Amino acid sequence: MDERLEKALDFSNYMLTLNNQKRLLAEKYQEDLIHFYNGSQFTITRELITFVSAMVSADQDEVVITDDNNIPCMAEDLKSFYNEIINKYAIASNDYYTAYADLKKNRSVEKLVNYE
Amino acid sequence: MSKGAFLIARNNGHIDYVKQAVFLAKRIKKYLNIPVTVATDSADYLKDSFDIQVFDQIISLDYTNESNLRYFFDGALTKKTASFKNNNRASVYDLSPYDETLLMDTDYVISNSLLKPVFNSSADFLIYKKSNDIAKVRDESEFDKISDTSVDFYWATVVYFRKTDTNRIFFNLVSHIEQEWNHYRRVYQITSTLFRNDFAFSIAIHIMNGFQSGNFAQQLPGSMMYTTDKDVLWKMNEDEMMFLIEKKDYLGEYTALNTKGQTIHVMNKVSLNRIIDQEFAND
Repeated sequence: MDERLEKALDFSNYMLTLNNQKRLLAEKYQEDLIHFYNGSQFTITRELITFVSAMVSADQDEVVITDDNNIPCMAEDLKSFYNEIINKYAIASNDYYTAYADLKKNRSVEKLVNYE
Repeated sequence: MSKGAFLIARNNGHIDYVKQAVFLAKRIKKYLNIPVTVATDSADYLKDSFDIQVFDQIISLDYTNESNLRYFFDGALTKKTASFKNNNRASVYDLSPYDETLLMDTDYVISNSLLKPVFNSSADFLIYKKSNDIAKVRDESEFDKISDTSVDFYWATVVYFRKTDTNRIFFNLVSHIEQEWNHYRRVYQITSTLFRNDFAFSIAIHIMNGFQSGNFAQQLPGSMMYTTDKDVLWKMNEDEMMFLIEKKDYLGEYTALNTKGQTIHVMNKVSLNRIIDQEFAND
């Protein structure tokens, strides 16, 4: 095989694997953002954080929030709920950032899939 | 309220579901820390061959031979035909010793604790509708609707339910659909004659919702991540799995893919059993 084509195919295979691994990391990040509170299930988004923050700033002690299944949930201790979702968001985002940075350092398919 | 996982393991001479159940029970203990009950038609084999302390209860089922035949692939190029003993799933409602049950297929490889909080859920019935093929090279529309012109698809692979009167009606309905499968598959425009629990559960959910979309069934957290039996599970280390994923348009060629801390429905049961053999040998 022409060496130029061989190198291009190697790189193509590497990029395919890299993109797959990036996609899986993004999916794991979405799972890590799921938070359970009072029997309800929330995916922590910046919108949720902003809304809860606004309610806390408005001195609301409790507020109704609909969860991922569109079930209304009474967040009775709003400040505590806010702290929980902020902490979980920070941990999940930092883990995602670290794993993504590690992934980018790997320059071979074997390293990308941890097979050495 | 008692809580636990429930597995069904019925061997077919080609796939050792009992071995898978033992393997999964260990992972459920590790990641979810809940008791596990298994219902099997091979209770003697289970007791003679494996450490049964991993199970809270073992329920014996009658051994039957079924004519529900299907292909079991091991990668894109290898396949065998074997019976698919997937009936009686509706009996879980009566068989389960728990008030709150997490019913799972034995090829659902638990690798995190995402499902642990579902026992405190305000919903009485949770199931996956949203799914994710980790390969992303195949048409996933077959897991969107149960047929091109029919109703929403739900995965019977993992189901959480409480023992309530409504859920009893649901499981009795699933049982009825199974008995009258040829009628229901025609009504719901399913061309295959093969009985699938996914289809029966999807049809039952549609009926429970008043023959329309509705919220009888709530979503389990995250999405059902799966690989098909055209892919190969190649390596496993704790919560890390390496797969060979079939390459689009290149039959028999694969791309490597690594998952960590992600629970995956591994449909290639043959390759899963090879990995389990390695894991048990290392124990």
